[in-house]
Amino acid sequence: MTTDGAADVHSGAARLESVLLGRFGGRLTSVRVINRNEVHVDLGSKEDIPVLCLYVSDELKGRLATVVCSDERRVSGSFLLRYAFDIENGEDVFVVVTARVEQGLPPSPASFPSLALRLPASALYEREIKDMFGLIPEEHPDPRPLTLHEHWPEDVFPMRKEFELRTKVAKAQDRGYAFLKVEGDGVTEIPVGPVHAGIIEPGHFRFSVLGETIANLETRLFYTHRGVEKLAEDLRLDQVLLLSERISGDESVANSSAYCQAVEKVAGVTPPPRALQVRAVCAELERVYNHVGTLAGLSTDVGFAYGAARLNILKERMMRLNEEVAGSRLLFGVNRVGGVGIDLPPDKSRLVKDTIDGVLDDFNRMVKLLKRDSSVMDRLRGTGAIGPNEAAEMGLVGVAARSSGLDIDTRRDHPYGAYGSITISPRYDTPRHITEREVEMATRRGDVLARFETRVEEVVNSVNIVGEVLRSLDSGPELQAPVPREALRPFGHALGYAESHRGQTVHWVMIGDAPDSIFRYKVRTASFANWPAIETAVLNDIVADFPLINKSLDLSYAGNDL
Amino acid sequence: MIEMKKKESTHNILGDHVETDKRVLEGSRSAPAFRGDVVFTVSDAQPADPELIRLAVATCAPRAITSNEVDGEFQLTLDKGRCIMCGRCEEAAPIIFEAKSNFARPARKRSELVVARPPENAATGPGSSHEEIGKRLSEKIRGTLGRSLAIREVDAGSCNGCEVEVAALNNAIYDVERFGVHFVASPRHADVLLVTGVGTRNMESALRRTYDATPDPKVVVAVGACACTGGIFGDTYATSGGVGNIVPVDVYVPGCPPRPEALLYGLLLAVDRIG
Repeated sequence: MTTDGAADVHSGAARLESVLLGRFGGRLTSVRVINRNEVHVDLGSKEDIPVLCLYVSDELKGRLATVVCSDERRVSGSFLLRYAFDIENGEDVFVVVTARVEQGLPPSPASFPSLALRLPASALYEREIKDMFGLIPEEHPDPRPLTLHEHWPEDVFPMRKEFELRTKVAKAQDRGYAFLKVEGDGVTEIPVGPVHAGIIEPGHFRFSVLGETIANLETRLFYTHRGVEKLAEDLRLDQVLLLSERISGDESVANSSAYCQAVEKVAGVTPPPRALQVRAVCAELERVYNHVGTLAGLSTDVGFAYGAARLNILKERMMRLNEEVAGSRLLFGVNRVGGVGIDLPPDKSRLVKDTIDGVLDDFNRMVKLLKRDSSVMDRLRGTGAIGPNEAAEMGLVGVAARSSGLDIDTRRDHPYGAYGSITISPRYDTPRHITEREVEMATRRGDVLARFETRVEEVVNSVNIVGEVLRSLDSGPELQAPVPREALRPFGHALGYAESHRGQTVHWVMIGDAPDSIFRYKVRTASFANWPAIETAVLNDIVADFPLINKSLDLSYAGNDL
Repeated sequence: MIEMKKKESTHNILGDHVETDKRVLEGSRSAPAFRGDVVFTVSDAQPADPELIRLAVATCAPRAITSNEVDGEFQLTLDKGRCIMCGRCEEAAPIIFEAKSNFARPARKRSELVVARPPENAATGPGSSHEEIGKRLSEKIRGTLGRSLAIREVDAGSCNGCEVEVAALNNAIYDVERFGVHFVASPRHADVLLVTGVGTRNMESALRRTYDATPDPKVVVAVGACACTGGIFGDTYATSGGVGNIVPVDVYVPGCPPRPEALLYGLLLAVDRIG
């Protein structure tokens, strides 16, 4: 029952610590708060995983943020599973339930109780752990492989420590992937991908259709699995930063911010205020250019080429601004561990302000034009709806969650970096406004139109945030706090998180025992959390609406596949 | 009488100006801050400090910088096909490296992307604009193919950064259709395969099948550091270390990601291959 740096512990975390201790004391080997807001609960037995996790999920209203498996056999003799839950009731707290899984003796492999049937959001994590670590989720309803496709041998587990990064595994006999079969009169299958007709990333979609109506959709992803997490264990801390920018190219600021934040937490370093502000400005620029691009895509998918063309011009203008600011059209190179690598001197600040104001003006006109057009609006309304209960059950994040009435935003719920002093949505500060917000969230229908409107609202908000931050830029010349090597204690770990334009991205970093090394880097982008949504959203819609629904969710394949 | 509400006119909503302001159209070259082509500085021909060389080599995440000791002197080589333009080498050893604001030139041979220090032809002029390259491309397409160049884009495991830039070619600023460049939905209609990404193991057979489905004569353009060499992702259990290890590559376009101008330049070389 220790607290690291007791003076700086979130009050909510301290309260949860005692609640959990009081209720489950006998089953726990320790409860402690680290990194200010992470309540770590260590289980005596892996058999208690369901009891604890379901308590945190159902009673404490925790949303499963990520599940981290790490091979710590060399350190502590077993695999460790960490279930991180995000408490979003206004208290900035994460609850991390940790359990040990001993290596099984052949022939019985190591296993752990599956949560998939009772906590659907855990299903994909468990399949991933099975592929990458060879730990079997007991009674998991879906035994199919996930990350490693059919041609991988069944006894290869790349994330185990004994597996060498550059091993070239011989191809096994293609076992085929058992897609769910929908049978009946007139049901046909449409296989699409992995190579698509447009300029997009690879993934396979298997539609079962009845006439035009989609009766079932299964997605098969992980075609772009590049081994990001394993590779990170082979790179130095500063090089992993470059890797984190390239997890998903169009969300480089969000992912690298989350990574930097995790390392900074382990080191106990706070970047200078101006650095955090620059980070926030770039994160919002990223949000703007991507939201504008997605809205252009929606316009294309409803056949309104004129709107798409004009919105894409705005995206191009934003990308040119990115280049002026960061030296890269995709904002690569903004972040450094301990701060940022770029600055916003007065001339750049002015350029940013002028450009985004100009873009916003044109953007508002375009939105007005789109909203006036019934051929656009009719396609959006009622298409691809996701209800609030489904959204909560799947653990959706970001725009997808907010459009379905779940009021979650990591920038506000877990204010990181400069976001502690930034108003995310300026209207919700008085009781009346809060009630209005609640009513508004309840009316969001989770369809493509709701996601369209949420994105439009966020573009406006982001432009306001950039303006607000630029007005109050800290004058300090420091842009990077030194991160002393001795502060990065071996096996120290922390959660880093950020809200990308897709939603919450969570990075868990555990420092290695060699200097500047990483022991485990677990990335969960918003795309991984939101991909299951598409299978639900398209049901009973027509095949022709699939591209539209897909675009409205704006999912990254690379961010999912790692 | 039912009174119909009159629809507000488009002109009323959009006003007199258009989003394509002059700066955007004319400023078609990269911004001065752009980290593009990384080159050896020409200023000093004297051997660099071994410590500095060691630092620069260690700094480079995709291992684009290598050093060889020959007769007590260090020979440095820089592989632009690997470079991810992070600029860390310039920060570590500014007297050896410099990140220029023009794009790195695409090449037909992999070896053309590897340069040694001291540089032989160090003069890198200002990068051409997309208008200039586009016009040359347009003439070449007309001369070689008659009408248009059909391209199929294949993502073989990229971070989607290259996709953003390839997609930008079709926006109203670059608007490559006017040069006769046409993106098609099927490899069966394509002259050129524009391949991005590191060539993941999970995409290997799909890429090979796409290549087989493309009619001859066909040209493969590897787009970006990942497709050229594996980039930061390298050659691991999950990747192939560049799409050249899966299908034959005719043109290499370095960059992370390559700017639209670099992509057009790569297509220019691709048409040469067909002709």
